Amino acid sequence: MPEIRVTPLGAGQDVGRSCILVSIAGKNVMLDCGMHMGFSDDRRFPDFSYITRSGRLTDFLDCVIISHFHLDHCGALPYFSEMVGYDGPIYMTQPTQAICPILLEDYRKIAVDKKGEANFFTSQMIKDCMKKVVAVHLHQTVQVDDELEIKAYYAGHVLGAAMFQIKVGSESVVYTGDYNMTPDRHLGAAWIDKCRPNLLITESTYATTIRDSKRCRERDFLKKVHETVERGGKVLIPVFALGRAQELCILLETFWERMDLKAPIYFSTGLTEKANHYYKLFIPWTNQKIRKTFVQRNMFEFKHIKAFDRAFADSPGPMVVFATPGMLHAGQSLQIFRKWAGNEKNMVIMPGYCVQGTVGHKILSGQRKLEMEGRQVLEVKMQVEYMSFSAHADAKGIMQLVGQAEPENVLLVHGEAKKMEFLKQKIEQEFRVSCYMPANGETVTLPTSPSIPVGISLGLLKREMAQGLLPDAKKPRLLHGTLIMKDSNLRLVSSEQALKELGLAEHQLRFTCRVHLHDTRKEQEAAARVYSHLKSVLKDHCVQHLPDGSVTVESILIQAAAHSEDPGTKVLLVSWTYQDEELGSYLTSLLKKGLPQAS
Amino acid sequence: MLKSQDLSSRILSFSLRLAGIFAAQENCFQYLQQGELLPTLFGEAGPLGGAAWTAPTVRSGWVQGLRTLARHPSALRFLAACGAVDTIFSLQGDSSLFVASAAGQLLVHVLDLAMRGPAEGRRGPRARDWPACAQKIVCHIEDSLCSAATPQVTQALNVLTTVFGHCRGLWTQGLWVRLSPLVARLLEKDPVPASHSLVDLLLSVARSSVLSSDRGLWETLAQTLSHLSPTQAGPLALGILKLQDCPQALRTQAFGILLQPLACVLEAAAQAPGTPGLLEGAAGDSMTVDTLLSSKSACVGLLCCALAHLGLLQPLPQRPSPWPQVPLLGAVVTILRLCSGSAAPTSDVGGRLCAILVGCGRVQRAALDFLGALSQGTGPQELVTQVFSILLEYLMSPESSSMVLKKAFQATLRWLLSSSKTPGCCDLDPHTQQFLRELLPVLQKRLCSPCWEVRDSGLEFLTQMTRQWGGRTGFRQALLASEVPELTRQLLRDPESYVRASAVTATGQLSGWGLRATPASPERPGAQQESLLGELLHILSTDSEGFPRRAAMQVCTEWLRDGRADVAEDPERFVAGVLQAASRDLDWEVRAQGLELALVFLEQLLGQRGSRCPYSVGLPETAPPGVLAQALQVLCRVQLFEFAFRALFDCDRPVAQKSCDLLLFLRAKAASCGSLQEAGDSPSVASVEATLQRWQAGEQGQPLGYLEPGAIVAVLRSVDLEGLRDTLAESSDHVEKSPQSLLQDVLAAVGVLGENEADCY
Repeated sequence: MPEIRVTPLGAGQDVGRSCILVSIAGKNVMLDCGMHMGFSDDRRFPDFSYITRSGRLTDFLDCVIISHFHLDHCGALPYFSEMVGYDGPIYMTQPTQAICPILLEDYRKIAVDKKGEANFFTSQMIKDCMKKVVAVHLHQTVQVDDELEIKAYYAGHVLGAAMFQIKVGSESVVYTGDYNMTPDRHLGAAWIDKCRPNLLITESTYATTIRDSKRCRERDFLKKVHETVERGGKVLIPVFALGRAQELCILLETFWERMDLKAPIYFSTGLTEKANHYYKLFIPWTNQKIRKTFVQRNMFEFKHIKAFDRAFADSPGPMVVFATPGMLHAGQSLQIFRKWAGNEKNMVIMPGYCVQGTVGHKILSGQRKLEMEGRQVLEVKMQVEYMSFSAHADAKGIMQLVGQAEPENVLLVHGEAKKMEFLKQKIEQEFRVSCYMPANGETVTLPTSPSIPVGISLGLLKREMAQGLLPDAKKPRLLHGTLIMKDSNLRLVSSEQALKELGLAEHQLRFTCRVHLHDTRKEQEAAARVYSHLKSVLKDHCVQHLPDGSVTVESILIQAAAHSEDPGTKVLLVSWTYQDEELGSYLTSLLKKGLPQAS
Repeated sequence: MLKSQDLSSRILSFSLRLAGIFAAQENCFQYLQQGELLPTLFGEAGPLGGAAWTAPTVRSGWVQGLRTLARHPSALRFLAACGAVDTIFSLQGDSSLFVASAAGQLLVHVLDLAMRGPAEGRRGPRARDWPACAQKIVCHIEDSLCSAATPQVTQALNVLTTVFGHCRGLWTQGLWVRLSPLVARLLEKDPVPASHSLVDLLLSVARSSVLSSDRGLWETLAQTLSHLSPTQAGPLALGILKLQDCPQALRTQAFGILLQPLACVLEAAAQAPGTPGLLEGAAGDSMTVDTLLSSKSACVGLLCCALAHLGLLQPLPQRPSPWPQVPLLGAVVTILRLCSGSAAPTSDVGGRLCAILVGCGRVQRAALDFLGALSQGTGPQELVTQVFSILLEYLMSPESSSMVLKKAFQATLRWLLSSSKTPGCCDLDPHTQQFLRELLPVLQKRLCSPCWEVRDSGLEFLTQMTRQWGGRTGFRQALLASEVPELTRQLLRDPESYVRASAVTATGQLSGWGLRATPASPERPGAQQESLLGELLHILSTDSEGFPRRAAMQVCTEWLRDGRADVAEDPERFVAGVLQAASRDLDWEVRAQGLELALVFLEQLLGQRGSRCPYSVGLPETAPPGVLAQALQVLCRVQLFEFAFRALFDCDRPVAQKSCDLLLFLRAKAASCGSLQEAGDSPSVASVEATLQRWQAGEQGQPLGYLEPGAIVAVLRSVDLEGLRDTLAESSDHVEKSPQSLLQDVLAAVGVLGENEADCY
């Protein structure tokens, strides 16, 4: 029995470390290869030993697909390909391919710098891993091998994020990665066609949330920044190099322009150019507004946002600084934070999640006295704000996507168990499809109906066409032919062609039926009566009375014989070929009713 | 807390594991037993029967808790009394891979624990003397081995694999004697169930020192080899060949399995009968041929496995001898030709193989890897020429993907280097020379590829070649006659940063051997080099990406270390320029590399760092005071102190660590010559110390200003470098990792982070 098997090694009832194994029609695909930012031990990466147990990785896996550049979806990739030893192809979109190594490099530097990890992947490994990447375009069907094909759809969320359809024969799975069903300041909304996959694997971060309008959050953000700057304070916004940073930059730039504000806005040097470069390069991936205005004005070239220099942090007066990294765990953002933390006029806005152990996590959980290196205690007097700008689909959005794709089954990943449970019920009720939510390591098995491709001979098709009816996708039609199996291929051909190809002689198969007729006259006369009756009833058919006394209607032959025991009864022998099955049955039922009395 | 109705599954799981940790100590176990806590957690009254059991995390916690707990006889009695062993049996088939695998391991652990203990010495091979708990587990394994359901057989085989892999007691012998007939009976089934696990088990037994002398085992291995399909038998064959002591007949059989697919290819593609095959005397195994021709995926899978296994075997000392180097080379060249479409086999099988393999990237990659591995052996010149010709064909082919090209470059490098290993010969043989002449135009073309991966692989190849052959006349002539050096230089401005970085490294390597793009003018021999230095400094100060800047710093360090003529002309200016560029860099790895360069410069001025060998006799290397004073003057002029002191308070730990080491070295050197006049309490020292304090506090705006050597020595002595080194040696999150910090996190997290949790990334 063919089946689809799905085993999450990460992101099963969990957020972070996305890694889902899918087996479909004998092909094995790994969807995402992420890391968990909350751990620094071996729980950081998915446990790949469950794959290596089935032999060599490269022989077992047909391909790896990465949905987008966030580290919880691609952070384990160099480890997997260069240290565990996967040597096969890795598929991702072009923007992901361009941006992914930057984030991996950032992550490597932090791991080596902050924790002094020696046994970690190197820059060379990141590069070697990226060389295994095959870039895919949106809506382009990529043939991984003769049987397995994949196709990418726009997912919003971050630049280059994609949903992937994985197809083998008539079986298919769609994996959403992270997606956003509403457009934001710089990206559009996710979209997929009605591809009716056997299974839709969807993220469910906001499984129970209907999110408030993004506009409110934006207004709140601008108000807070504005108030701080007005009272002469400094605002620190720790961000990661690419993604949300650009969205917030566009927001502030527009606001500064409208309000004619003078306080400087800075962005960590190097990153602005890099971000600009990528957004320019991948402008088709941004939203409609940015694309439309691109010719006159590039939204990513900012008038008010300047490159930051270390010395600026000591300058007096208000300012806004975007600095990396985003969780205040090392580098420039932490350095600035230390300088500004003591002043209550200042503010730090954390626009994203912070893992445990980072300074970002500590201040968000309300700690005000932080112990730093060298037994120094840093007192945090500045205001601390958290603002969620993450771009995931909410419950409404997820339902919308399920409606769009019309899957036979749904499987939830990348979310919390309790929230998933709620969404699962909702999906099952509304769409009448089965919904699964496996934990990490749990396998979901879905039986699928076997599907065998059959080729149709041109001759047969032409004959069908000759009947005058043009093919219509919406109106299925019945086609008769002979199914032959030759060289492990199945083909539908005309019976003549089948006989010819297989070197067989034709056998005529006739059905015969006896009808008893109460008639005392001779056989010939009985036949004549049958002839005249049928002639009068079947006006559209060719009814003939042959010299040997038998009657034919098309291919149907009727002969009258005497009954061996009852001389008052005649036996009508009716015989017909299978092609005239319908007419044959009709005739027998007609004759069984008897003949009209001779006048 | 456990009585709470809405206890979350995570907390319950945590409680199970925590209780396991506590109960690992026997006295603690007794205490928990008195409170009847353990049955509440692990017994039938616990989560076992309840709704919580549906959560895999609870089942996982239960298994892990028991695994930690089961360390003493009391624990064993508890397990038997609460019926835990039966639950473990059922958990072996759990829907969660993690739980199922942990349950299997727990079973082995319990078996091992039961067999150890006071009567261990007496528990020899006779199974009927074993304790009840062990008997129960072994009976379960026996039942599973006889089961018609493959998952059950797999579970039993996996448990046994762990037993023979981890347990060393004599009793394992008895276990094998009892179970080996059941294992052998699996081979009678068609198809052999759980073949992968069976292979793992047999290899695990063969590797176990207790059992490897068993003759019956070798017979079972030989039978298994002949019963399994070629694809299934590959890993077993490789495992057998890796064993230290193993009968020769079995080794021959195993090697035959690995060679078979390649032998089939050779035979199918042979142009004329009588061509030497891989397996003399044996016709192509029909099962292997069937697999190769059954479908494309089967053919590709089998060939890739065979190539990978042989590649793994090739460098091992225990590889079969004689090693069929020549036919293997022939086979892999044939496979590569079939894949590229350049082979024209006449046989039917050959034609079918050709149709399957043509353009198959997976087989191409595996074959190129193996071809590279074969470069370690030799071959007749004719065959080596064929190897170079197929490599050239791949490097030239427009069909080759970037990964195939990378592997082709790697294999070419290995073959080139191995072909010129002739001792005492300083130049290349005519064949290699000829190949180089053909190769360089191809490399040239690849350096202009629109694909960055290909340009980069080409540059990496060039760097490696130059590193090895930069001094060989033949290579130098061929390279200088080509446009490769000029192209490499142009790639310094490549749009892709990886390529720029590789171009920087390659250019550095080329210039190190005097292989410049165009000959320097006779009047100014350093002009070319100077402009290259200018280019590197330009990259250092302007490139927006870290990789090229890091590569540039490495080249500068190598130049200084090697004492290159043009750098040696005015090293002060060189070092000052590079340090100035590095000091402004945002990438900590560039700054750390800058300190590496500073250290090389210091060593050149003051002598090498002392040997770090703890047993070496510590002879103080005293530099004459005059030399030291002069050296310090130089260091002040190149602003090395400003760079090093700033780095000492760098926000990135590795930079600070490196700077600390450098300053400690300098201080030791200064101490060894005590006669240098220190500027004890001069205003200059006070101002330096004040500036350093501000830097430490994070205000790095103010420069250090000009320094006197005397003041430097004084400052070096006053800064607590050892203390700083110790602090830096701890990872920068050691504060966050401390129990106190974790406790603060836990307290702060209560009720705060609910919504943030989901807002990941």
